[in-house]
Parts: sequence; C-alpha cells; structure tokens
Amino acid sequence: MIRVVFFFKSVRVSLRELWVMLRVEVYEGARIALRSLGANRLRTLLTTGGIAIGVATLLAIVGIIQGLNASFERQLATMGTTSLYISKRKFGATGDDWQEARIRKDIDRAQMEVVKNECTYCTAVAPNIWYQADVSFLGNTINGVQLIGTTEEYIDVASYKMARGRFLNYSDDADQKHVVVLAADIAESLFPSSDPVGATVRIDDHPFRVIGTLERRGKMLDANWDKAVVMPLRTMRAYWGVFRSLTLIVGVDTADNMDLAVDQLTGIMRRARKTPADRPDDFAINRPEQLLDLYEKLTGGLYMVITGIGLITLIVGGIGIMNIMLVSVRERTREIGVRRALGARKRTIVLQFLMEAAAVSGVGGAIGTAVGLSAAKIVSLITPLAATVQVGTIFFGVGFGAVVGLVFGIWPAARAANLDPVEALRYE
Amino acid sequence: MDHGVPGPERRTAVLISLEGITRHFVVGGETVRALQGVSFSVEKGEWVAIVGQSGSGKSTLMNVLGCLDTPTAGRYSLNGQDVQTLDDDALAQIRNKEIGFIFQTFQLLPRETALSNVELPLVYRGMRPKERRERARRALDQVQLSNRTHHRPNELSGGQRQRVAIARALVTEPSLLLADEPTGNLDSATGEEIMRLFAQLHQAGHTICLVTHEPKLAARCPRAIRISDGKIVADGPGPQVALEQQPLSRVGS
Repeated sequence: MIRVVFFFKSVRVSLRELWVMLRVEVYEGARIALRSLGANRLRTLLTTGGIAIGVATLLAIVGIIQGLNASFERQLATMGTTSLYISKRKFGATGDDWQEARIRKDIDRAQMEVVKNECTYCTAVAPNIWYQADVSFLGNTINGVQLIGTTEEYIDVASYKMARGRFLNYSDDADQKHVVVLAADIAESLFPSSDPVGATVRIDDHPFRVIGTLERRGKMLDANWDKAVVMPLRTMRAYWGVFRSLTLIVGVDTADNMDLAVDQLTGIMRRARKTPADRPDDFAINRPEQLLDLYEKLTGGLYMVITGIGLITLIVGGIGIMNIMLVSVRERTREIGVRRALGARKRTIVLQFLMEAAAVSGVGGAIGTAVGLSAAKIVSLITPLAATVQVGTIFFGVGFGAVVGLVFGIWPAARAANLDPVEALRYE
Repeated sequence: MDHGVPGPERRTAVLISLEGITRHFVVGGETVRALQGVSFSVEKGEWVAIVGQSGSGKSTLMNVLGCLDTPTAGRYSLNGQDVQTLDDDALAQIRNKEIGFIFQTFQLLPRETALSNVELPLVYRGMRPKERRERARRALDQVQLSNRTHHRPNELSGGQRQRVAIARALVTEPSLLLADEPTGNLDSATGEEIMRLFAQLHQAGHTICLVTHEPKLAARCPRAIRISDGKIVADGPGPQVALEQQPLSRVGS
C-alpha cells in the first residue's frame, strides 16, 4: 500500500518536474535563442544561408533522383506487369556472360510451340525479333524505325492497344503477307491528315500494306515504343534477321503466379531445348523488374556520389553554424556567467545554445527546402528529367536542417555550459 | 526557560557556518593558497562586511559563499544545508533559492529590460510568466524604480542599474544578499544612495554580506571580518575592525 502511494507520489513529482523543465528550459531557451538571433540579424542570415544552400542542393538532387526513378518505373510498366521474356541471355548481360550467351542454341518456333502447348499459367505466347529500318510514304522517310516481327498473340502480351484497323492474324504470318501495323508516332508522322489503314508504306524499299494503327504506349529507356512498326514474323524473317534467335514474350494469368510460371517454363524450355540434366539453363526467363535491378546497379553509384556532394555542402553549412555558435558563446561569456550565478543549470545553458543553433539551421532548412524544390521543379520543366516532390521531402528538409544545427551546435553549447561561472563573470 | 535548553529558534538563527575552509588553486604549476582555514558564522539578519586588500582572498571567499566555487577542504553550511557535498545542479538551485548576488559591474543582460532582468532568476525557478512579472514589479518597487521597468540597462544611470541588480537579488527572497563591491563603479553620492538602500534592507531583516576593500564601507556595517593572506585577521564591530587598519597602513607609508 505504502509502495503504491509512494509510487504514485513519485510519478506525480517527476511529471511536474518534467513539465517545469519543459517550460523553463525549452520554452525559455527558445525565447532567448530567438532574441539573440534577432539581435544579430546579418550574421544569422548568413549562417542560415549556408544551411539553406546545403539543404537546397540535397533536396534538388533527391528530387531529381526520385523523379528519374519514378519515370523509370513508369517506363517499366510499359513492358507489362505480368509478362515474362524468355531469351538466350539475361537482361543486362555483359562481358563473359554475353559472350557465352551468344553461342547458345537459338530459340526457335518449335520451342515456342512446346511452350504454348504445355504452359498452364500462360495466357499468350508471342515471338519477337527486332530490326531497325527506314519507313517511307509518299517521299516522307523516317529513319531508324524499330521493326517488330511477331504473331497475332503479341497484342495480348504487349501493352499496345489498337487505335484503328486490325492487328495481325494467323494467316498474315502463315502466308507471309506484306502487312504492317503502325505505332502512334509513325502513323502520325507519315499520315498527318489521312487514314493510314489501306495505304502502302515502303520499308527499306519493300512495299507493305497498313492494316491498323496502335495507341501510344510510351518510352522504355532509349527505346520509343511509339516509333515502331509491327509485322508478321515470317514476313520479317524473309527480309531481315533470318538467323536471329526469338525472344518469347509470355503473358502470365495473374501476378501471383509469376514465380510458379517461371519454374514451369524453366522445365518446359529445358525439355524443348534438350538441355542435359547436368548443365545449367542455356536460356533466361527475364522479368521486367530485373531491369529495375539493373538500372539501380547502374545508377546507384552515381546517386551516391551526387548525394554525397549534397551532404558535404550541408556539412560546410554545419561548420558555419559551429563557427558562429563559438563566436556567440565567446561574446556572451559574461551573460552565461550571470545566468549560472542566478541559478541556470548546465543543461539549461546547453539547451539555450542548442536551440539557437537548431533555430538557425531549421529556418535555413525551410528556406533550402523551398529553393531546392523549386530548383527540382524548374529542372523538370526545362529538361526531360522529371523531378517529383513528395510531402515527406519537405519535413525531411526542415528536420534535416535542424538536426545539422543540433549536431554542430553540441560542442559550442557544451563549451558554454562548462564555463566556470567565476571566470565567466570576470570575462571582459 | 529555567532549564537553559536552547530553543529551535536559536538553532535556526545561524545562516552561514564556515569551518576550516581552504581553497587552493594551481596556477602555472604553483599552488596558490587563496584561503587557509577560514572559520566563522553569520546569523540571520546580520549585516557583515568582508574587508581586505586585493589578493587577500576575499573574492575567493565570496565565490565560496555564493556557491560559485567549491572549497578544497572544510565545511560550509548555508541555511542548514551542507553545501560542499552538492553537485553542480544542486548548487545552481542553491544559488537560485538562497543567494541574491549584487556585483560591482551590475551584470545586467544588456538586451533585456529592467523588468526582464529582474525576472530572470524566477525563470530558472520555473515560475509562470504572470506571477514572476508581478513579483519583479514588486521588487523594482522596493528599490524605487517602478517608473523604469521597461528601460534597458543602457538607458539607466549607474545607480539605477545597481538598483535593478539589487531588485534582481531581492526578487527570489533569498536568505543571503551577497554584494561584491556594490559601490565600486559608482560616484560617491550614488554609492551613498546604495549604502542607504542596504541599510534599509538590513533594517527590514535581510542578511547581507558586503565584500569590499574599503574600510570606510566596512565601518558602516554592524560587523566586519578582515581577511588577509587567506586568513581572518579580525572579526568584530564594523567601525572597530575598519579602524584597526589605519595603524597598519601608516606603517607602510
């Protein structure tokens, strides 16, 4: 009973002490800090500027990086979220891996048929080969157009939608018909005012009849899906890339079944290619997300370097704060002595100076946030880099500024608190 | 009464009790013995001058009395508390509650108004703004400065500044007023004014320790303690201790 009473009593006392501490040390500390900042406006402004530049640099960099990542993820979605890409080599293969993949057995239509017949998770399987060619109509020529050779199932696995006309059908491929489907950029450039369906375009001087056009799909890295022409695989083989291995684009029924589908397809492909049991897979089943890993591998180092530069700028600002705080402590040595004589504890003095530092750098952080976000916005307006700004970033900017102030303010604040009151009172 | 047992009021009447206080400093490898076994006690309501030449140890003694400095050895009890065992936070609290400092150079915060300066010790006590403003006003009333509450130190005369400082010392209702050469930076007329204020405060029951090098000021205190080379050399009625000086200083001249 006594213990309980004692317990409650002690809790009540400490809560009250906490409240008094909050009021005296935090509130008064903040008041004193703001006053002293107001008294040295120019100095405060310059120090604030240092932090603002650091935070602005960092935020602009972070904003641009986030923008790039977001735009890459959007691009990735143009490959289809439930699509698998079966090909001879892994996405992003380089060096020896690439060399090794070159000599692997090609993926052919026979293997594709096996996949089609045996894969239970697959909704569609489309072969793909690519080539670059020039496309012209009535004297207008577009150079370097992506030719895509495929079959009727491609429309189900690619993120294309029909705009006009029809897509390829079975007989287009079986009979090697000279028909093409134009992607949006090609259709608009060659037929600015007329209907392309039914017209005949020339691809590397071979005539092809346009049977349909596609809606916009977007870009993927340097590949523009909308600057493309789709034609039957067999027709394309007749003119371009006879010996090329196929890439099979496989649509999986649901995103949840992606792992199961990969397992099943691995088995199917090994059987279809007669891969010996003691050999590793001589093909790769790629997912679009792998490109994300690759992208992160490629850009991660660069991001670290530029983020590091931003951080260094911020540290320079922090050193500015430390410098100014040391000056402030020296200037106010006597004031510190007076406060100590009148009953201020060491921690009260520490808090007072810490809050001064945090206030300067917090305001710097706020200004820096505004400047940095504007810079990111301007970059996104005048360059193709899309900078995104998240609300969290704003709190991050202000908070980060304040933390820099606290970190770099600790030493000066501790120096202030550890002054001998007798010496401090005598200081001239 | 007949039994001769001292009542509780007798025991609590002692405010300051120093026993064998020594304070040594090490300066450049040499030990300076600023205080060498100082013992005395002061009762509540006393007005004591601590008088001595510069270098006599009186400033060190004042710092010890004010809990700004801790003695190397000895026992110091202030208002029933053994001070030498306390940590830094507790000493800050003692300074806040028990001691009102009055300095030769006033030591007011230049950017704050008279009222804010007087409020300052109450801030560290955790008092609410309304209450401490009220008390600060009353303290400024006590030193006849109620018409100067919103002036900053540079808008006040020396005497007015010192009176603000005295109000700041009084506002916490401390058990001891510790004044270090309070008239040292004032002209003689203003100094006289401040001394009269001290006399009034003494009349009102305040305990005052006045640290000075001037025998003239010591002579006006009911009791004076003369300190020389870190030791007490005289302790008695103010005028008497102050006069003892005269033959000694004549020997030198």
